[in-house]
Amino acid sequence: MGKLYTFLKYFFITIWTVFVVAPFLWALTTSFKDFNSVNGGVTYIPWVDFEPNLEGWRVLIKSPAEGGVDIVEPYFNSLFVTCTASLISIILGTLSAYALSRYTFKAGPIKNNDITFFFISQRIMPPIVLSIPFFLFLGAVNLLDSLIGLIVVYIVLLMPIAVWIMVDFFNKVPREIDETALIDGCNPYQAFFKVVLPNSIPGLIVAGMFCIIFGWIDFFFAFILTFTEVQLLPVKIVALNSSITPWWSLSASALVSVAPLIVVAFIVERYLSKGNLSGAIK
Amino acid sequence: MNFKHKYIFLFPGLFVLIGILIFPIIFVVRLSLSGWNSYNGLNFIGLENYIRLFTDDPRFWESFFRLSFLSVTTVVLQYVIGFALAHMVWKEIKFQRFFRVLFLIPMMTTPVIMTVIWRTFFHESLGPVNDILGNFGLSPKWLTDPTLAKFTVIIVEVWQWTPFMFLLLLAGLLSLPKEPFLAAAIDGASPVRKFIYVTFPLMAPISIGAIIIRLIEASKIMDTVYVLTSGGPGTSTETSSFYIFIKGLREFQMGYAASMSFTYLIIMIISLTVIAKVLTKLLLKD
Amino acid sequence: MKIIKTCLSAMISGILIFSPAYADKWSDQFPHIKATGDIPGDCSYEEISKKNYKGKTLKINTHAVPVIGQPTALHAEQFAKLTGATVDVTHTPAGDLYAKAMVPFKAGQAPYDIVFGFSNFINDWRQYLAPVPKKYMNTKEMKDVTKSHVGVSSWDGTMYQYPVDGDRHYLKYRKDVIDNPEMQKKYKADTGKELKVPTTWKEYGEMAKYFNGWDWDGDGEKEYGSAEVMKKDDLMFAAFFSRSVAYAKNPRTPGGFFFDLETMKPNVNNPGFVEALTDWVEATKYVPPGGINFGLGDEIGSFGGGQTLFSFSWDDAFIAAMQDDSPIKNKVGTAPLPGADKVWNRVTGKWENQYNQAPYIVWGWAVGVAKKSKVQEMAFDYLCFFSNGANHQADLAIGNFGVNPFKNSDFDPNLYIDTMGWDKEIAESYTKTLKDMEKSKNRVFPLRVRGVFEFTSAVATGTSKALAGQLSPQEALDEVAKEWEAIVKRVGKSAVQEDYAVGVKMEDNKL
Repeated sequence: MGKLYTFLKYFFITIWTVFVVAPFLWALTTSFKDFNSVNGGVTYIPWVDFEPNLEGWRVLIKSPAEGGVDIVEPYFNSLFVTCTASLISIILGTLSAYALSRYTFKAGPIKNNDITFFFISQRIMPPIVLSIPFFLFLGAVNLLDSLIGLIVVYIVLLMPIAVWIMVDFFNKVPREIDETALIDGCNPYQAFFKVVLPNSIPGLIVAGMFCIIFGWIDFFFAFILTFTEVQLLPVKIVALNSSITPWWSLSASALVSVAPLIVVAFIVERYLSKGNLSGAIK
Repeated sequence: MNFKHKYIFLFPGLFVLIGILIFPIIFVVRLSLSGWNSYNGLNFIGLENYIRLFTDDPRFWESFFRLSFLSVTTVVLQYVIGFALAHMVWKEIKFQRFFRVLFLIPMMTTPVIMTVIWRTFFHESLGPVNDILGNFGLSPKWLTDPTLAKFTVIIVEVWQWTPFMFLLLLAGLLSLPKEPFLAAAIDGASPVRKFIYVTFPLMAPISIGAIIIRLIEASKIMDTVYVLTSGGPGTSTETSSFYIFIKGLREFQMGYAASMSFTYLIIMIISLTVIAKVLTKLLLKD
Repeated sequence: MKIIKTCLSAMISGILIFSPAYADKWSDQFPHIKATGDIPGDCSYEEISKKNYKGKTLKINTHAVPVIGQPTALHAEQFAKLTGATVDVTHTPAGDLYAKAMVPFKAGQAPYDIVFGFSNFINDWRQYLAPVPKKYMNTKEMKDVTKSHVGVSSWDGTMYQYPVDGDRHYLKYRKDVIDNPEMQKKYKADTGKELKVPTTWKEYGEMAKYFNGWDWDGDGEKEYGSAEVMKKDDLMFAAFFSRSVAYAKNPRTPGGFFFDLETMKPNVNNPGFVEALTDWVEATKYVPPGGINFGLGDEIGSFGGGQTLFSFSWDDAFIAAMQDDSPIKNKVGTAPLPGADKVWNRVTGKWENQYNQAPYIVWGWAVGVAKKSKVQEMAFDYLCFFSNGANHQADLAIGNFGVNPFKNSDFDPNLYIDTMGWDKEIAESYTKTLKDMEKSKNRVFPLRVRGVFEFTSAVATGTSKALAGQLSPQEALDEVAKEWEAIVKRVGKSAVQEDYAVGVKMEDNKL
């Protein structure tokens, strides 16, 4: 029984690992190809199947006049917008989530669950049509084509995720913790910041990671709401899609754009384990 | 507990959200009552768009059912696989950290870009998949067979978003209390029984949350379809959000697209509420 | 050798433009034009350098790099250097160009001074664009633009889009197969027919089918018949119309190709179009695996990479095949789009059994200046500079720039032989193919009525269902026609009629 389980476990994990890694490997080898080695037939191994070249990577730092897309500035724009919007969303979202988890709200037929659902329902609307009013709205307050404008929009996109996830996690932190703290003489804010929050680190980490991911990979709003001053990474990369689809530079850019988030993944993994410990201490 | 505090916690987030969204939402409703398109401005045409949608647009409803199929299938697959993976790397395993990080990575790729890689991956004459399968005399039409194309979309979606489930469920597993497991161990429960009677019920609340949020996201599926097949062959992979995209940004029938979006929003809110209720009944019985 | 070539081409183009050209101070500063040096004209380097736009900013939205996007950025850099202006350029994929500019237009804003797009956007965009001022209409450069490209850029005589590129669909074929005596013998033996450049779509289909699925160029990979844009996206309808013109554009029935101008009844489901769609459905049997999911990028890669015998649509696939590092350089040829042995007469409602061929002057790159722009003069100066003699010739020579011939002086084969190393025969047939399209009296221009994307999107959906086998060609086109009628009704019959009349005037050679 145990052996069979272990075997199945490793078997499944191996299959999944191959599935996860395969497209990245394909992207890696493709990023060193050129038009002819892509279109002449399927090739895999550089130097054996095809003559590798660095054009796909060079394109990412060359200026448009030389046939590239310069992704350096958009890269930092993306990092800045994503991190700022995630941070604000997490702060606001966590506070709201805490309220929804600990207190009862009632306004006519509207109860806690409905308010929570209201938050998450903001993500249901397809972005295509929302783009027009957002455009007008940002235009009216003069924030089109600016980092702040994008941050404002991203807060709307990200906060619901933070609220939704944090409500779940707060529900799991036993109420006795807050109550003990309150009896010990803390005010509700101290109880929240000093006692509840430290016990919810896994939740914060997960929510934070989702905010960062959803901010980082958004293409559509960044595309509609910016013109020339501010460019985010996905928009810039998609601009590689000319009449000829450059498999090579798109592959390179896919790898480049995922890189910073891998660092985030390592941090997340570390804190997830820590959360386990703090849960045990309780 | 004190009444005032709860509002101080809730309101900043709630009001920021409402403050930013109130205008766009009202505007979408207003837009849906207009014939706003490439040649008309924000005129008022009453319910004409809605009448057209409900009486004269089978394509929208077809795409909606296709969407329901795609999103339910992908989310179920993601949940099952995600749970399995999370359960496997939950306890001690070799290279635990490596696997945990690796399984997270697919969701960090930007869909519009990553799907281009997938398209080349499944390219029927220049991609590696059919090149390798070709050695065994197989050449599945990943992107050009109406049925298989749907599954290709599902494969890509599962690849990209299983990590989402995986992370939520792993975090859930890691923060489970120890006592029930100790109790089960004392009773000498088998691993299977332990899973059914201890782990799974404890994971139910977070599972429901994860499934709902994934259903919402999966229903917006758009980049994947756009890049892989543009809704083809024929209309066999066209989903609601992609159809709204065509009508809205390609044909620029913004008024009509708004009425579709609004209808879609209402349907989704109703069905998600029902799904959440049903799931809660099913999973939280104990 | 290279230097001699360069000098030679400089001399030839010099003679061509009736002015002496040589490496000069401008080509020292701007190596892009080293082949010709500056060519005198109203927007030459010399003239533009006299302008001073210091402190002013020009904002441009253009296509993705490199096609059109790279020359835009390059000329922006040069323009900035010459005039002291700041030029900001953003790059957007083709499919999104329309929305990217249309959203701000509709919101009453003009974030871009110059917007790139396609010539069939003209009707939706013209209310937001500034007409080209007289001053620029009278430049030496503008006088050189061919009549049909002036027509494509103009709306009823007023030019809204500045000509910077010329586009049309034509046939590309593998010369090393079609002109190969052994292949000709083999083909004759197997089919009893001559192997030659196809002049009808039926011949095209027969040859493509014969050369489908085996390794006919001996490179170890299988080759296929034809690469076409069959993916249901923004370009698919153009491929369908390219196939339809042969059967449905009858020079003896003026008054509309897409609609009957008088009644505004769609023609799109008449037997001519149905025949074309039937051919196209047949074509799914001789495209490479996955071919019905090919977008323009795939088509270019497939033909340009030597995978197929034929291809038809824009220049790109041919240019890609003629790149210096291409394995099939100088092994490809061009010809007009195939025709048909019969043509539908929608007045008599009968087939006419006579040969018919019609060039499709497909929409191509177009660019306009926003009406709300505060720097209109600078914007027009930039566009004029973009397509000045020296820049245009240098751009033409770089395949992936996507700048194609649209000036009368471009139809000189020597241009391609000298600067791009094409075989004489290929260059001659290329320029002849293009020139003949200009001369033809049976041309079809793009549909440019208001809400044009509603119409073309309906075509893409319908034809795509037929290609996927969901509907028969007749059913599919009936559906398209029904959809078109609904759109006409929604938009207003007289409005569409009024718009369409402008296009018909050009088709009927009355403009």
